[in-house]
Amino acid sequence: MLLKKAKAGALLDAIAAKERLFVPADDRGTSRFVAYGAGVEPRFDLLNTKLPPKDLLFPATETLYRWSRDGADLAIDSAFAETDPFTVFGLRPCDMASVDRLDAVFLTKGYVDEFYQAKREAATFVVATCAHPGRACFCDSIAASPHEAPTADVLLEDAGEEWVVTPQTEKGASAVEAWKPYLEEGDAEPIKAACDLKVDMAAVPEKLKGMFDDPIWSDIGDQCLTCGTCTFVCPTCYCFNIDQDVREDEGKRFRCWDSCMFTDYTAMAGGHNPRASKESRVRQRFMHKLTYFNDRYDMNLCVGCGRCMRDCPAAVDISLIIDRIAASEPAQEKEAMAHA
Amino acid sequence: MPKTPIEVSHGCARNNGEPYVPQVCRVIDIQEQTHDVKSFRLQTLDGKRPFACEPGQLGMFSDPPYGECMFAVAGVGEDYCEFIVKNVGFTTNHLHELSVGDEVGLRGPYGNWFPYESAKGRDMLFIGGGIGMPPVRAFLRHCLAHREDYGRIDFVYSASTYDDLVCKDDLFNVWPNEPDTHVHVSVYHAKEGDGWDGAVSYTAPYLEQVFAEEGLSTENACAVLCGGPSLFRTCRESLLKLGFAPEDIVTTLEARMKCGVGKCGRCNVGGVFICLEGPVFTEAELARMPRD
Repeated sequence: MLLKKAKAGALLDAIAAKERLFVPADDRGTSRFVAYGAGVEPRFDLLNTKLPPKDLLFPATETLYRWSRDGADLAIDSAFAETDPFTVFGLRPCDMASVDRLDAVFLTKGYVDEFYQAKREAATFVVATCAHPGRACFCDSIAASPHEAPTADVLLEDAGEEWVVTPQTEKGASAVEAWKPYLEEGDAEPIKAACDLKVDMAAVPEKLKGMFDDPIWSDIGDQCLTCGTCTFVCPTCYCFNIDQDVREDEGKRFRCWDSCMFTDYTAMAGGHNPRASKESRVRQRFMHKLTYFNDRYDMNLCVGCGRCMRDCPAAVDISLIIDRIAASEPAQEKEAMAHA
Repeated sequence: MPKTPIEVSHGCARNNGEPYVPQVCRVIDIQEQTHDVKSFRLQTLDGKRPFACEPGQLGMFSDPPYGECMFAVAGVGEDYCEFIVKNVGFTTNHLHELSVGDEVGLRGPYGNWFPYESAKGRDMLFIGGGIGMPPVRAFLRHCLAHREDYGRIDFVYSASTYDDLVCKDDLFNVWPNEPDTHVHVSVYHAKEGDGWDGAVSYTAPYLEQVFAEEGLSTENACAVLCGGPSLFRTCRESLLKLGFAPEDIVTTLEARMKCGVGKCGRCNVGGVFICLEGPVFTEAELARMPRD
């Protein structure tokens, strides 16, 4: 089945008439996934949005419970709520790969995060492949492919004037069934693009295990401003804080995105901070993305979307960091050389 | 007969429904332990124990409108869970202002627990310092409640001064009267007129001294350790020096925690989360982890 790009608007209108629909669009000087409606112009020409789509499943701020106090008495009410179905249309393969990572974090390893789960189950992801990956894109050598997204509900393969529409899950099949009036029979040749920027990840997770004391971390630490931009624009960074909003005798506890780049992220009462230095925090960020997460979930925590490289004010470039790790001598060899 | 290896299980935390939302509990008892340490017994509003938990597990104690803090559960009774809290920051300062009857939030239990099954039959050497008491106390109390399952019990405990010793009643009146249970207490600094006439020593040298004087053996022993960063480092070194196998040294770690279920990201040591796979690890496991 084919969807003519010129006719996508009618399909979006039809989807939006049934349920909430999120599309990539400009929004107050930035770009992100916004609720489709009057005045929203979808930007399917954007490679990936400046802000990642993770807030659709894992909002930047999300209330967990509300409390109220009456003298010594305390009442606590969970803020958990079911989520109505919604569709995310025009996600890129790297961002779909980021959803796979968030799924692993929030839905596995003992505890299921019900706040995330409710939104995840309500979501239908329609992924549009990338015909022309950007200069900072390197998904196909780290986590994904510009022309595939195996876990998407529906895949839209870019074929120039149209998309080749393929449902990949049950949810996707029923969605596409409903889209029939807007689709056309026929064949088109999807564009199978590749990224120009490549990294060689093969040896990186193992090499990093011997690089805890490598000078690379102080080098990056010197460069980094620890502003946290990389973690907020990252589609996979999921670390959160739990804090609260107080209005006299009542309030709510919420979770909000946090950043391992911040000093107080690991600061404990009493003053001890295991990661007080920039060097140690930078090490944590890259070790987490490129080796710790791999051990735990069998995948990298970087999907090669390039956002952190594009937005870093200090030009910290994860692809160059991976190159440097890949080119480093294994720890044992270094030690042997030191003793030679 | 070969001894059973100490086995600490990880990732054994149990899903107790809503992991982030606390239940409302009532403070039923408060004891002033030292000038800056208080213990609190918490009970559900209908008079029950808030949760069943194993020795070494964690509970997230909150006092709206103030914050939430993770503590090792210091002990459980038929109808309460007990926490021992040192006043070190904003939230703990407010916890110290609680009165009996006040309602607070409690969620948990989180994390793994001490290997009390595989440690059966061993001589137990507990080591604690200052506010490192609560988890050690939970395991020690378990051993005392199942006294016949364990060999000789020694507890080496230190604090900065006599006034900083936590659970003095347990240390000086209760535990020394238990069968084959030996409590060794030192303080780092003796103060004029504080009534302390015992050992004045840092924990690690005191541990080595006690070990020699008491003629203790590592043969069929298990060491359990909890304390601040410096005590932790020096006592690990001492235990290894005394001849303990890294597999026979059991420790419990702490870190800043927010979620308690391995999601929020901050309490990792390498690829493991202290709140979920920990907080209990053997020295052998720690040695394989990055020094994070």
